[in-house]
Amino acid sequence: MDAKKIMVIDDENIVGKMIKATFERDGYVVEKFLNAKPALERLREQKFDVVITDLKMRDVDGMEVLKIVKKEFPATKVIMITAFANMDTSVEAFRKKADDFFPKPVKISDLKARIKGLLEGEERPA
Amino acid sequence: MKLVYKIILANTLGIIIIILISVFSYHEFNMLKAKLSFVEIADTLNASFLKMRLAEKNYFLYKDVSSLQLIKAEIRRSKDMTGGMKRKIIVAVGHENFTGLVRRLDHYAEEIDKIGTSDKIGISGQDIKNRQLSVREAGRDLKLFSGSMVRLERKKVNGIISASLDGLLYFFSLAILVAIMGTYLFFSNMFRNLSRIERATNSISKGNFNKIAEWKMPNNELGSVMRAINSMCDELQTRHEKLIQSRKLASIGILTAGVAHELGNPLNNISMVAQTFLELYDDLPDEERLEYMETVLQECGRIKDIVKNLLDFSKPKDTEFRVLDINAIIKKTLKLVRNMINVAGIKTELDLQEKLPEVFIDEDKIQGVLVNLINNAIQAMSAKGTLFIRTIRQEKEDKVIIEIEDTGKGIPPEFLSNIFDPFFSTKGTEGTGLGLSISYGIIKRHNGKIRVKSKVGVGTTFIIELPVYISKEEGDGCEEDHGD
Ligand SMILES: Nc1ncnc2c1ncn2[C@@H]1O[C@H](COP(=O)(O)OP(=O)(O)OP(=O)(O)O)[C@@H](O)[C@H]1O
Ligand SMILES: [Mg+2]
Repeated sequence: MDAKKIMVIDDENIVGKMIKATFERDGYVVEKFLNAKPALERLREQKFDVVITDLKMRDVDGMEVLKIVKKEFPATKVIMITAFANMDTSVEAFRKKADDFFPKPVKISDLKARIKGLLEGEERPA
Repeated sequence: MKLVYKIILANTLGIIIIILISVFSYHEFNMLKAKLSFVEIADTLNASFLKMRLAEKNYFLYKDVSSLQLIKAEIRRSKDMTGGMKRKIIVAVGHENFTGLVRRLDHYAEEIDKIGTSDKIGISGQDIKNRQLSVREAGRDLKLFSGSMVRLERKKVNGIISASLDGLLYFFSLAILVAIMGTYLFFSNMFRNLSRIERATNSISKGNFNKIAEWKMPNNELGSVMRAINSMCDELQTRHEKLIQSRKLASIGILTAGVAHELGNPLNNISMVAQTFLELYDDLPDEERLEYMETVLQECGRIKDIVKNLLDFSKPKDTEFRVLDINAIIKKTLKLVRNMINVAGIKTELDLQEKLPEVFIDEDKIQGVLVNLINNAIQAMSAKGTLFIRTIRQEKEDKVIIEIEDTGKGIPPEFLSNIFDPFFSTKGTEGTGLGLSISYGIIKRHNGKIRVKSKVGVGTTFIIELPVYISKEEGDGCEEDHGD
């Protein structure tokens, strides 16, 4: 079986770097992006199993990324992370069919478990 | 002195002068009337005396008895007249002159009588001659006396007239002088105080709550007005400060969302680095372990900066002027608002002139101004906007210029004159309309200027000019806050 591909989009470089470091040891392929635009372009040439995106970024809003990904690649799982979570944004994220929503600081083990579950066909939380 | 008293005093003074003039004129005119009526009497008498003397001559020349009859008639008339007009004559010429006149008239009458009797009896020629002589003497005496008296009185009348003229002139000049002096003393003070009040209210309407100096206050109604203005100033000042404070709190509210984001990111970074560090510990080469820990420290530094900025912003500080570099303050301020700018999706372009001369400013206040202007710029732009911040040195006038330009919707020309007014806002409940008015006041207190250039649909530029700090040896222009 091919290695599962994960994309991380966050303008905080460290987030991508750490996810890449920990997830690659578990056998995933991770690509990290600081901006949404190049990430979306990459998505169009390469299928990813999971997209982890920050909610608030300079160029394109994380919600926008979620919308585009869910429209163009419905099979791709999307996990939102944000440093500024409130009820409204998480509700909106789920309404836009996000597969999960993680407030920062993110617990990597939780993220791993969740991604593993998602890839094994677990339903997204209600 | 109270204004009412001043007005009463001025009026009383005027009335006194008018009464004095009237009394003086009344007295003078009465005097004149008496003298004139005497001159009239004296003229009649003189005419009588003249007739007597003519008749006297005729009598001596032609021995005409009817002439003697005429003289006697004239004497009677004259006596009647002097008797009848006694009081008037005395008033005009005095008792002594009156008796002198009466005595001479009587004497003449006696002499005439003697002539009349001597003719009938027949006396020696020598005697007759002697009597004629004494008659002539008495006649001349009477005529001369009355003539000189009339001349004297005419002179006196002329004297009275010119004295009254002088007197009136004197009184009028006094009245004019008093009026002018009074106006000056009374009104110049009042006008000075009124214009002081005008200046004070004008400066209040411009947002400077400068009080009127206590020692300049007159002890009258205007003084009470000034005191009322001063207590209004105090009240406005405290309210103004409260408003500024509450505005600060409000902007903190706006900032909190940003701050949560701003703090959340480094916190997350630290957490993720630590988790990865723990998980990968055994596999990590030494230099990567060090790198991880350095990243942690860096992120801690980020948090520290944010917290410090936040504290700086919220802490109510007294004004504290220091010599500072404006570029550094702009950078500091940008850190504070960076997240807001990011969230709004706005680009920033800095063009800060190097080696900018320092300015003598209250850092907190200037930072407040910058935050306000940046806030307005952000609110005026859609996501595609760019915020330009420039600093320029203007050597000619020893000024530092800060330009904050946005590519926002611009300000319609009809609003341009209002935007610095307190409470002018086009943002409804979203804006207090205080941002620019407070900023204006702050820049003014720095002896600086703030201007705006704007084009609808293109953008807006706010231009701040601050005087360059000149050290003590070169002169000190920065310390005093010159009022208007
Ligand atoms: N950069 C700008 N572009 C367009 N309009 C502006 C700009 N800056 C100010 N204005 C106009 O000037 C008005 C007054 O600004 P001011 O900062 O005093 O108050 P406000 O922004 O409405 O309220 P607050 O500052 O409390 O948010 C604004 O309502 C807006 O109409
Ligand atoms: Mg404003």
